Amino acid sequence: MTLVFAGLFFMFSLNSHFEKVTLSPQYGDILRYVESPYGRIVVTKEGPQHTFWESGTPFYSDADIVNSEEKIHYALSQLEEVRSVLLVSGGLGETLSEVSKYAPATVDYVELDPNLTRVAEDLGLIGKSPSLAIIHDDGRHYIKGASKKYDAVIVDLPEPDTFQLNRFFTSEFFALAKKVLERDGVLSFSLDYSPNYLSDIQRTKLSELYNTAKQHFRNVLILPGEKAYFLCRDGDLWTDVPARLALKSVTTSYVEGFFHGNVTQERIEELKKNLDPKAPVNTDFEPRIMTALFQEWFAKHGSSPKIFGFVALGLTMLYLIFLRREEYVLFTTGLATMGVEMLVIFTFQVMYGYIYLKLGAIVTAFLTGLLPGALLGNLFKGRGWIPLIVTEIILFSLLVVFFVGISFSEGDIPQSYFLGYGFVFSFFCGYQFPLAAGLIGEKESPAAGCLAADFTGAAVGTLVTGAILIPLLGIQMAIIFLILVKISSNIIVLFPRGRTAS
Amino acid sequence: MRMTRKEFLKTLGLGVSGFLCAGSGLCFGQTKGESIQGEIFRKDGPAKPWKWSVEGFHYTSDGRNVQCQVCPNLCLLEPGDRSVCRSKVNIDGKLYSLAYGNPCSVHVDPIEKKPLHHFHPGTSIFSIATTGCNFRCLNCQNWEISQKKPEEVQSFELFPQEVVRETLKRESPAIAYTYSEAITYYEYMFDTARLGKEAGLKNVLVSNGYINREPLLELCKVLDGANINLKSFDDRIYRSLNGGTLQPVLNTLQILHEQGIWLEITTLVVPSYVEDPEMIKRMCGWILKELGPDYPLHLLRFSPQYRLTRLPPTPVATLEKLRDVALSEGIHYVYLGNVPGHKGCNTYCPKCGRLLVERNGYLLRQVNLNKGHCKFCNHVIPGRWS
Repeated sequence: MTLVFAGLFFMFSLNSHFEKVTLSPQYGDILRYVESPYGRIVVTKEGPQHTFWESGTPFYSDADIVNSEEKIHYALSQLEEVRSVLLVSGGLGETLSEVSKYAPATVDYVELDPNLTRVAEDLGLIGKSPSLAIIHDDGRHYIKGASKKYDAVIVDLPEPDTFQLNRFFTSEFFALAKKVLERDGVLSFSLDYSPNYLSDIQRTKLSELYNTAKQHFRNVLILPGEKAYFLCRDGDLWTDVPARLALKSVTTSYVEGFFHGNVTQERIEELKKNLDPKAPVNTDFEPRIMTALFQEWFAKHGSSPKIFGFVALGLTMLYLIFLRREEYVLFTTGLATMGVEMLVIFTFQVMYGYIYLKLGAIVTAFLTGLLPGALLGNLFKGRGWIPLIVTEIILFSLLVVFFVGISFSEGDIPQSYFLGYGFVFSFFCGYQFPLAAGLIGEKESPAAGCLAADFTGAAVGTLVTGAILIPLLGIQMAIIFLILVKISSNIIVLFPRGRTAS
Repeated sequence: MRMTRKEFLKTLGLGVSGFLCAGSGLCFGQTKGESIQGEIFRKDGPAKPWKWSVEGFHYTSDGRNVQCQVCPNLCLLEPGDRSVCRSKVNIDGKLYSLAYGNPCSVHVDPIEKKPLHHFHPGTSIFSIATTGCNFRCLNCQNWEISQKKPEEVQSFELFPQEVVRETLKRESPAIAYTYSEAITYYEYMFDTARLGKEAGLKNVLVSNGYINREPLLELCKVLDGANINLKSFDDRIYRSLNGGTLQPVLNTLQILHEQGIWLEITTLVVPSYVEDPEMIKRMCGWILKELGPDYPLHLLRFSPQYRLTRLPPTPVATLEKLRDVALSEGIHYVYLGNVPGHKGCNTYCPKCGRLLVERNGYLLRQVNLNKGHCKFCNHVIPGRWS
């Protein structure tokens, strides 16, 4: 029997071949399968074309000449001389051969996931060149610590719909990027764009990014290609890219023949005219572009969360009406704990650029504190309201500490702080539970009501913080919301109506 | 067990709310493979026509309900209803188009971008679109206008005579009705095309071809060229990928051919939907039988768009294979699109095999045509050559 279980365990969890077999119907001919700490990488092959998938989404396919040429030549054609180039992701396929047309002395290619570049190198998808250095690091972390200067920093990342990606499109990042650029160096990045019509959401997205980049660079130009390519430079920027390429004797397959049909002067000017100078800037902790991308997602899928939101809100309000005071305290603590867990996860992602590797540790820290907290709480059960009031004040203070920490921290907060904070917060969450149950009294069978309050609070906290507050208003506003929630429960325990002294 | 009134209300409230919550989750559900045909928007129309309205050209009415006759959706609208394409409404027993003189996209494009390779190559074309589409393609490149109502977007004001004036001002010899779905702004297109023709301009329809016979025959009187998107050759794929049906599109191709309108056909090769060589073979067989071998066929490379972002771009090898299939079936001019620098973008003489038009994107690198004949063997190359 043991052998059977061991065999099954091996088959289902350790044997990557089994995964490949089960994933084949979805992906087709799987060439490589890697469970990376940063996501699941699958490489498929159809004919001679390789496609790289990360966590189910294709992010690279061979022969993407349009993307390779647009991202490289729009930026590098602006420079008089190209000596050093920094690629932040996107170095696969034709990219490096397009860069090599400018014969730079050095090309540094930063990619977070070593598994990705290893697989790509195995498959011959990263051109070999003595000037090329592949650096395995978070792009932002690398730029922050780099002493080297570059003529061009080319960021090629997907849409900034997560905190991990958003941090390459923020005011903070542009300030860092400028520090590693030579005088009159160029920074380039792109966003998805519909060339035939600028919707309100697109306008918002592009305006926010334009205004953010404008804070750091004298000139910002958006070229409306297959994507909207942003070029940021203190020196001059040129719109006639084919003419610049001709001057440099650089030949292309796409730009030369398609540019003047797709990126017309009229389209460039129309786009610029439509930008909103009042659009807010995008920052690490106030990710405005993520908000626009969420709206775009709902518009694209023709759905709206409104019905769900209204029903959930109605349900919560109804539930709150029937809550006891003690249960309300647990409700807010459950809400704050899950809310703060979300905040810790996202803040970690903002600061360190990845999360999957540490997600398990953070969640564990938030669970580990519950049991010792509950055990200690049991010891103080029956001592009236005072212990509960104390924990309320502690939880409130912990939220304030978090707010102050992210508002005034100048560098990255050490990782251990996140884990420690999670443990302490959940400790007091667990501590409150027996206290509240004790206050209700055994006659009232408090367990079910207390559990329900805690779980409902946790559900509301997850939904409101993770899906509404953080994407729409940013991390700081989300923590202010949690502080307000905790203030409400503090008021209830400190200034109760008709509470009898115990 | 006795229940207090408070407990009863609590239980009832929680039960109802829980039920509603679970029910609201249904809006996230979608079944793959089913028809995605659009639906009529009940009681969604405005109470009165607006400035950019005109009474529909092709519809029937019983005084209360109306039925649009422009496309095979044949939307039967009660007062206040809005059509599947979002552009037509029933106001007091009359059908109105809300897309007249209010294009949301106005650009001057190279004619090769439509794509049209045998229709006055190297010229520019004034291109307009309003909102709306009678399909629901999962891969729509222009979903931000095709899947919107006229009131939901920012528009220009450009009535038909102004479109013609602008076209002449920009020295474009033609007007294209394109980007979203021109059939949904039929009235605007028709009036503009009529005035354009009077002013000596050419008119080009870029469309999914989902239109009924009568309105198309009317339109043909003012039309010079068309690029029709034959999205697949399988009714099941049409239903699940596009929300339409195949036969009306085939009818359109036949009518355009009969009416002498220059025609080019486009097929987007979408991985896992439209890539079966056998289907392309059947499609080419139909084209050869009904239309002949001379209308160009454009096979376009798909790139992840709209709701199909979890599909990879079409492998170039697949496109090459399908091009070989089409050529070997007997189609004379088969082009590859969205593959810059590929030889499949050029025109070759079907008789002597020599290079006739070498394209570098939208630019013509060399043209070996002499008044519509191959410069080398004098074979007639069909098209509309300037």
